[in-house]
Amino acid sequence: MDIRRRPREKSTIWPYLLLLPVLIVMLSVVIVPIINAVSMSFQSYNLTKPKKIGYIGLQNYATLLHDPLFWSSLLRTAIWVVFGVGCQFLFGFLLALVLNKQFKGRGVVRAVSLIPWVTPGVLIALMWRWMYDGNYGVINDLLMRLGLIKENIAFLSKPGTAMPSVIVTIVWQGIPFFALMLLAGLQGISYDLYEAASIDGATGWQKLIYVTIPSLRNTIFVTTMLRIIWVANSVDVIFNMTEGGPAYATQTLSVYIYKKASALDMGYASAMAIMLMLVLLLAAIPYLRNTFRDQEG
Amino acid sequence: MKKLFAVLLALSMMVTMLSVACAEETTIKFWFWADNDDYAATMQEMIADFNATNGKGITVVGEQYPWDGGGYSQNLLTAAIGGGGPDVATFKLTATPSFVGNDLLAPLDSFIDAWEDKDQINESLYNTMRSAGGEDAIYVMPWNTQVLYVYYRPSMFEAAGVSVPTTYEEFLDACAKLTRDTDGDGKTDVYGFGMRGSNGGQEPWGCFIYAGGGDWEHLDSEGAIKGMQDYIDLYTNGYAPETAPNDGFAEVIDNFKSGLTAMTIHHIGSSAQMMELFGDDVAAFVFPKGEGQWTSMGDTETVMFESCQNKEAAFEWMAYLATGKGQETWCTVTGNVPVAARVQALDQFQSNPFMKVSIEGAPVAGILPVRDTTTEWIGNWPSMIQQALLGQISAEDCMKTLQETLWAE
Repeated sequence: MDIRRRPREKSTIWPYLLLLPVLIVMLSVVIVPIINAVSMSFQSYNLTKPKKIGYIGLQNYATLLHDPLFWSSLLRTAIWVVFGVGCQFLFGFLLALVLNKQFKGRGVVRAVSLIPWVTPGVLIALMWRWMYDGNYGVINDLLMRLGLIKENIAFLSKPGTAMPSVIVTIVWQGIPFFALMLLAGLQGISYDLYEAASIDGATGWQKLIYVTIPSLRNTIFVTTMLRIIWVANSVDVIFNMTEGGPAYATQTLSVYIYKKASALDMGYASAMAIMLMLVLLLAAIPYLRNTFRDQEG
Repeated sequence: MKKLFAVLLALSMMVTMLSVACAEETTIKFWFWADNDDYAATMQEMIADFNATNGKGITVVGEQYPWDGGGYSQNLLTAAIGGGGPDVATFKLTATPSFVGNDLLAPLDSFIDAWEDKDQINESLYNTMRSAGGEDAIYVMPWNTQVLYVYYRPSMFEAAGVSVPTTYEEFLDACAKLTRDTDGDGKTDVYGFGMRGSNGGQEPWGCFIYAGGGDWEHLDSEGAIKGMQDYIDLYTNGYAPETAPNDGFAEVIDNFKSGLTAMTIHHIGSSAQMMELFGDDVAAFVFPKGEGQWTSMGDTETVMFESCQNKEAAFEWMAYLATGKGQETWCTVTGNVPVAARVQALDQFQSNPFMKVSIEGAPVAGILPVRDTTTEWIGNWPSMIQQALLGQISAEDCMKTLQETLWAE
């Protein structure tokens, strides 16, 4: 009896032991910081006022509900994500379709198209900041030479142009990610499907709508979801281009959180971070449901 | 007996070796910022010189961090609280309350009292350092100062028929006259004033607030609002580049160096670059008096952290910077105003025209109020000013908010 049990017990414990290192790492770098952030969000935790640090219940949350900057930053986050990720997807998809075709020099084009994705965000921001510069920027110079403008445009110093300018930058950065992921998906679609569609008399457009896109459904879903979360959380590009200015015109919630945390008001910054996390969780629910449904299926 | 002698000998040798090893291993981690690569290289050369000549086995390891419009102080505070800070760091007085409030800084009184060079530094500077800590202790060691003044291009003044302004009204008038379309294409080629609407702009802006009749204690006063309105008018009238709301240190200096602006405000730290580029075609004057007069004393000090394991060694390095060879080297290269009397008396400082303007401005130079709200206020300043410059809020509303946030309890 005992002899039979031992191997079964061993096999029950062994997988958990194998998972333990990962669990410890997850606990230390994900769970503990989240718990810490939640705890700080209920405290007056301003490092410039160390003597006032202590629990204050829901006061930080109550304050942010009445903070017009919080709501305007949340709205700008929505604009930033919708236009940023939307255009990244659109142009990334087009690039993937092009790169999926056979043509001379395709390898080089594929490699070059990855450059924006592998360039650090801070460097991208500084590069575009100088390109947009209202006095010496190359974009103004080009537009002037093309006769499209008569006077330089201070792209990053005007509220009307600052947000579109930073969105163009994040779009430029994110296109390769979508292109790469969708290209991988495109290469997994069986040629038989296209052949069958051709026999049925489908046009190129119909093949795209009825074969390509349905076959890429999961890839599109996962990549878009991931990118929404990354873009919503990103600070580097906006902060290094405009610091959220001029006059808050490019201040997304992540930038606002960063600025509050930089001003050492960790309690309020944590409360806003928790709110952003909840908003993103709402966006991620369809992704999670989809993942679990696939696993169950 | 022989055995005992051998044991004692071995022990004494071990103690000697250990003490030598300990002396050799005294390492001081030092954080600093530098305005450009040349200054950073100079600091590393000074560190190498100190390490080679201190004769006490002290090794300073210098780590450069960007000033980042004041972000340096916040990064330093975060690092120190998290346990990853340095032993000694360069510092700004306005950051003192946050550091003292968190018990991070070591009091320096006992070191200074026992220091042979104590009298090289004016007593009034020690008093300023003492008052910044809010207690009867000195936490901050004087190093050098920079007085903000107005840089200008004499050739542009001549072309526009403008003489050096002696009053605030003349200064505003000069901003208008110096704004010119030099090639007749209908577009402005030279702007009168290089305005800093982004990080760090609160210091030159303070000159306008005082000239208008305000002061730091009463930012919502009629005079302060007038100064703010003048500042807005300079921008909306087109006497400053359109990019001004987002222009920081790099932009205002580049705009002046490229000839886009005829005047801008900075301290002597930029003079070496300016003279190298323009030769005699660059000069300076103290921001002129209006209803009142103020300019920023850009102080730079050093601090020692309470967590420092070898405070005597750390103070040796701080002393080298304050009155030793480091003081002379740093102030010579950067052009900053020395705090040590011996160095101030050197010919190179007495004959420098920009140093002369710095000294002229010193009587009206001051620092921002040192409060626990100051750091956050400095961080919020650009957003408030940008709103006013872009016409989203009035000068009055802007100043009311700045008053409330600076003096909030």
